[in-house]
Amino acid sequence: MRKTSLCIAVAAIFGLSVATSCAYAQDKLIKIGGLFPMSGPGSYFGVQDKQGIELALAEMNKTGVNGYKLEIQYEDSACSPLPATQAGKRLLDQYKPQIVLGEECSDATLAIMPLMDEAKVPFLNAGSSSIKVTDPGNPWTFRIMPNEVMQGVDIATNAYKRLNARSAVLLYENTNAGIGNAKVFGDTFKSLGGQVLADIGFGRDVNDFTAIATRIAGLGKVDVIPTYTLEGQGLRITQALAQAGVTKGGGGGAIQLGTIWLPFGFEQKAGKAALGYVRIVQFDPTDKRELVQNFIRSFKAKYNQEPTHLNAHAYDQILLIADVVRRGGKDPQSIRDTLAATKDFHGVTGSVEFDKHNQNIRMDTIHYMETLPDLSWQALAWN
Amino acid sequence: MYSGRRVGYLIAAAVIALLPLIFQDSYWRTNLTVCAITVMLAIGLDFILGYAGQLNLGHCAFYGIGAYASTLLITRLGVPFWIAFACAIALAGAAGMALAMFAVRLRGHYLAIASLAFAVIVHQVLLNWISLTQGPLGIYGIRPPPPIALPGLPVISFANAGNMFYLVAGFALLFYFLLDQILRSPIGEALTAIREDEVSAASFGINCAGWKVFAFGIGSAVAGAAGAFYASLVGTLVPDAFIITESFTILAMVIVGGMATLLGPVCGAILLTVLPELLRGFGDLRLVLYGAALTLVVLFMPGGMAQAARLIRPRLPGVRAKLLHDRAA
Amino acid sequence: MLAVAVQQAINGVVFGSLYVLVALGLTLIYGVLVQINFAHADIVTIGAFAAYFFTYTLGGNYVASIGVALLIGAALGWLINASIFAPLRERGSELLPLIATIGVSVLLQNAMLLWFGPIPYSFDSPYSNQVIRLPGGTFITLQNLIIIAVSTVTIALLYGFMRFTFMGKALRAVAQDRETAGLMGINPNAVIMLTFVIASALAGMGGAMLGPILVLTPFAGTSVIVKAFAIVIIGGFGNVEGTVIAGLLVGLIESYTTQFINPGLTDIVVFTLLLAVLALRPTGLIAEKREENV
Repeated sequence: MRKTSLCIAVAAIFGLSVATSCAYAQDKLIKIGGLFPMSGPGSYFGVQDKQGIELALAEMNKTGVNGYKLEIQYEDSACSPLPATQAGKRLLDQYKPQIVLGEECSDATLAIMPLMDEAKVPFLNAGSSSIKVTDPGNPWTFRIMPNEVMQGVDIATNAYKRLNARSAVLLYENTNAGIGNAKVFGDTFKSLGGQVLADIGFGRDVNDFTAIATRIAGLGKVDVIPTYTLEGQGLRITQALAQAGVTKGGGGGAIQLGTIWLPFGFEQKAGKAALGYVRIVQFDPTDKRELVQNFIRSFKAKYNQEPTHLNAHAYDQILLIADVVRRGGKDPQSIRDTLAATKDFHGVTGSVEFDKHNQNIRMDTIHYMETLPDLSWQALAWN
Repeated sequence: MYSGRRVGYLIAAAVIALLPLIFQDSYWRTNLTVCAITVMLAIGLDFILGYAGQLNLGHCAFYGIGAYASTLLITRLGVPFWIAFACAIALAGAAGMALAMFAVRLRGHYLAIASLAFAVIVHQVLLNWISLTQGPLGIYGIRPPPPIALPGLPVISFANAGNMFYLVAGFALLFYFLLDQILRSPIGEALTAIREDEVSAASFGINCAGWKVFAFGIGSAVAGAAGAFYASLVGTLVPDAFIITESFTILAMVIVGGMATLLGPVCGAILLTVLPELLRGFGDLRLVLYGAALTLVVLFMPGGMAQAARLIRPRLPGVRAKLLHDRAA
Repeated sequence: MLAVAVQQAINGVVFGSLYVLVALGLTLIYGVLVQINFAHADIVTIGAFAAYFFTYTLGGNYVASIGVALLIGAALGWLINASIFAPLRERGSELLPLIATIGVSVLLQNAMLLWFGPIPYSFDSPYSNQVIRLPGGTFITLQNLIIIAVSTVTIALLYGFMRFTFMGKALRAVAQDRETAGLMGINPNAVIMLTFVIASALAGMGGAMLGPILVLTPFAGTSVIVKAFAIVIIGGFGNVEGTVIAGLLVGLIESYTTQFINPGLTDIVVFTLLLAVLALRPTGLIAEKREENV
């Protein structure tokens, strides 16, 4: 007697779990892989990517997209080729995502690309500016942020034409992004007729820029100083240039241009040294569009900080994926094809239209901002 | 050769043969290949540090020289892989000997700092000599070793992660064997004598300077080979893969494994390569553990895992323990 | 042109003074202990963070934060000596303590990374942006002036301590010959501990003053320490006067290399100089005669 009831119980439980898993199977899932630096000095970026992604996922999954839920799994690519390839392989082998996002550092991105190509999984990038990511033309790699050529040519031309700059000093960190960006600016500027007075590259471990600022001060009249670096060193550079009396913030005449990126809030730290700084940002917090203002509001509500362009890019990547799913993408191949056909997507960083190399060619992703005397940003309508 | 040791080598070969069959996915196979590379680095450093007693903090420089030398020869001059490989070994070995000849009069801390300075200079040169090395822009699309076509067998392609593992692990075993043979010869005794007490060794007529240079040359050559394999495995080469922290990591492997033995660092290398992969979820915590492991091992068990193994062995019950104990005596 | 040269000289002296503060600690420890503490850099970083949190989170006075950093540095020095160098001293190994401190350094750096995160902290003292215009178009910030002043005073005090006080002489005695010093009634272990504490306090204080200049991340100390090693060797291990001169020399080399060649090459220049010194005069440019343990 007992044995029978035991059998019935087991069968019932079995039946129930089968039924439940069938129910789970009804929930269609788009699996997104996230290759971001989570450890080491690059975790600076990974943290912010995660914030943007989580915000977007929460919004999208409230109602689902075409009956699908979006799910993400992160792996630590540590901003460097070997850990990135390891993380990529692990992600592909074990999680089997339909699309992968990543990375921030050009070296890591370039190392991951062949893996995605071989596995035939679309790879969406929003952080690396090196032209090599899209130039050779890889059918599986996409980039929504403007590359170094797009940015460099545009800002150099604007410097020459709108700011009437004729002399420049290139100042950049000795990395892929720094060297690449500086070179494009220099070449464009010279081809327009401008003069590059000095080409100064510095290592990521340089702390004191007084010597460099002194050197620039000794060059005579400098109109613009394109600066390509990250926040930590950028702050010290701006302060040093002002102290040496080179830039407007220090009573001189030069205007700093740039950069790889500087977050909103930089001015509060740099003080009046940042006066007159003209920079390209990939996220304009003064953008009046409702989409942008809603994003800023929800971001502040969730994280209690102002969003940076990294947060914004990550957010846009998820929104773009949702858009692709809505248009019919559901497996790696169809997602890739639908992505490539994107012509008119609008995100918080700008619009997206891919060219035949899968590079986003919309110029409204390049926003120009100038720092005013009261340390606020003013959007310049250069694009 | 001692039959016991021969069995040891056969077991090692068997394990190498079986591993790709157990781990069928390319992620773990690549991990194992990375293990094999770090084993090479560890035994190379162990030869210099554990046997010749020279604190070489610049091992990463030879690793980098090997990687860049082979890659540049292949991509710029079209040299076939295996010739470039041999050149990389020779160049790294020569660099090691050059450093040793320079530092031959320096002892202890001075040598340590000199090797550190050398490593910094090499890294900075790789970073700044952009026309030669591409610097931070990096070299991409490095191909794996060319496929081997043996008559009558299917072509062996090294794009296959399993085949790549066999290749690299095979070389690691080969280098281990070679180093082991050297150490068991009178050369090994000379090195040990130098490590223990250089002055007495000199008074016995041992050419200390010469043997130190030799040790550096061999250890660095092996590191160069590891570098060549690294480049063709990862496919991407940037100077930042060869910063000073790499030297410290390899040092940790040698110490944790046990620097007075050759097998210890092998275990140390495998452990400290696989552990971070297993601890992937822990992010920066794993480096904290690395540092802690290194410090604690030095403080409490300077002989590393090898010392621990020796302590455990006599506790095995019965005849087996006696046999092992006698052999160790 | 002259103005630029003079300015770079000023820049060089400022940075040189900072290097000296960090390097002095190393050279003291080596002099007495014949040991290198690789974790010295991280004491500098911790000093900088301590000063940062004292100033920004606790709202303290910047000058007081220098004192706080000094005390924290001293405490760390005590801890490292007690837990690592003292026990290993019994074993008489020359290289093991160095390796142990490498481990401590890796541990501290990554623990700081976990705790403070990788995002650079922007540490500005009230003086770091106040510029004093000097004749000839040159300038110096108030912060830099303070650095030079504090370094000079510290070096003078240290020198006086070593030469004129009993403890100072005891320290030099232990450095020359530990056993005999012990026979003379000096407690070598106490002296060694004192050396460590002073050296690490100097490091902590250096960190607090470097904080407003550095890009403050857990790796901030490393950028300074490798140069500090170079300075210690160029000046001669254990030689205070040598360290001061070498520190200023390296600072000047850096600013002039930046001016006339390329900032990216400063490391190569400094380290090539280091190797040259090791090749030609291993005991340092301004050497005291020191018997190496043969």
